[in-house]
Amino acid sequence: MQDPLTLYGQSFTSRLLLGTARYDSPSLLSDAICVADPAMLTVSLRRQLSGSKDSGQSFWNLLRQTQRTLLPNTAGCLSAGEAIKTACMARELFQTNLIKLEVIGDEVSLQPDPFGLVEAAIKLVKLGFQVLPYCTEDWVLCSRLMDAGCEVLMPWAAPIGTGQGPRNPRGLRDLRERAPDIPLIVDAGIGLPSQACQVMEWGFDGVLLNTAVSRALDPVQMASAFANAVKGGRSAFLAGPMIVQERAVSSTPEIGRPFASESSRSEGPATRMA
Amino acid sequence: MPVLVNGRMHNLPEPPTLAALLLALAPPPPFAVACNGQFVSRGAYEDCRIDRGDRIDIVHPTAGG
Repeated sequence: MQDPLTLYGQSFTSRLLLGTARYDSPSLLSDAICVADPAMLTVSLRRQLSGSKDSGQSFWNLLRQTQRTLLPNTAGCLSAGEAIKTACMARELFQTNLIKLEVIGDEVSLQPDPFGLVEAAIKLVKLGFQVLPYCTEDWVLCSRLMDAGCEVLMPWAAPIGTGQGPRNPRGLRDLRERAPDIPLIVDAGIGLPSQACQVMEWGFDGVLLNTAVSRALDPVQMASAFANAVKGGRSAFLAGPMIVQERAVSSTPEIGRPFASESSRSEGPATRMA
Repeated sequence: MPVLVNGRMHNLPEPPTLAALLLALAPPPPFAVACNGQFVSRGAYEDCRIDRGDRIDIVHPTAGG
C-alpha cells in the first residue's frame, strides 16, 4: 500500500473519514460512501424512536454492506462520565475498540470540553479503547491527550456543522509542527473541498467531515470532490511546496532574452554588461 | 411502579432480571443496554436484577458525524 494512513496499527488507503448523518436518504448515503471511498465511517447510538419499527436495522445492514471500518462517537455527551458509559455501549454494539471521543463543553459552539476530554481519554485508554479525541488545536490540551495515550488527535477546523473552514490556520499549523509524529485528522467545520485540500497541504494526515457532504445540493458529487481534494492536498504536501518568497523572482530565464543588450545598455551602467 | 424502558413504562418481568426483560421485549439486534445509567455488558444480563422504578436504556446503531 502506497502512502497509507495508519491509525492504531490499522492501515488505510484513503485519508478521508466520512460521517453518516443528515443524508436525505439511505441511498444517497450509500452512493456517497461508494464515491468518497472513506477510510472510516462515523456512527452513533441512540434509543429507538417512539413509533419506529426499524430500530436501526436498515442502517446497520447498510453499514455492513459497505464493509468499512466503523468509528462510533460519543456525540452529545456533556461529561467524561457520560462519554465513558457511551463508549462502553458503543464498543459492545459495534464490536470495536475505536471511539471518536466527544465531550462537549459548550452547547452553543459545541466546543470540546478540554478538562472532560482529558479525564475521559485517560480512563478509556486504561479500559483498552483506541481513542480518537475531537479536540481543539490548543497545544496544551493536545499534549495532555497524547500523555493520556491517544495515538491520534482530531482538532477542529471550526465548530461542528458550520462549514466555516479553518478558523485558526496559524494554530493548526503550529500544532502540526509541534506534533510531527502523531496522526492529526482535521475534524469538524470543513465546508469546502478547497479547505480540505488546504489542511492536507499543511501536512495533516486526514480529514473527517459529514455535513459538507450530506447537506450539499448533490451529496454524491460533493463526496467525489472532497475525495479528490484530500488526495490532491496530500500529494502536494508530499511533493514539498516551494518556499514563499518576499520578492518577485522571474520564472522565465533572463539569458537569451531578445533585445536584452539594447535595453540593458540604455537602462544600466556599462559595468553591468561585463 | 414498573420499570422505565427508553422512557416508557413496562411491566416488571418475572424473574426480575434484565435477561427476562429483554426476552419479553425482544429488541432487534444489535443493541446495547444500560441500567440506571450504568452500562450492562451482554454477559451480565442474567445477573442484572432490576427493581421497580429502574431506568433501562436500550440503544441501537444510528447515523453520526
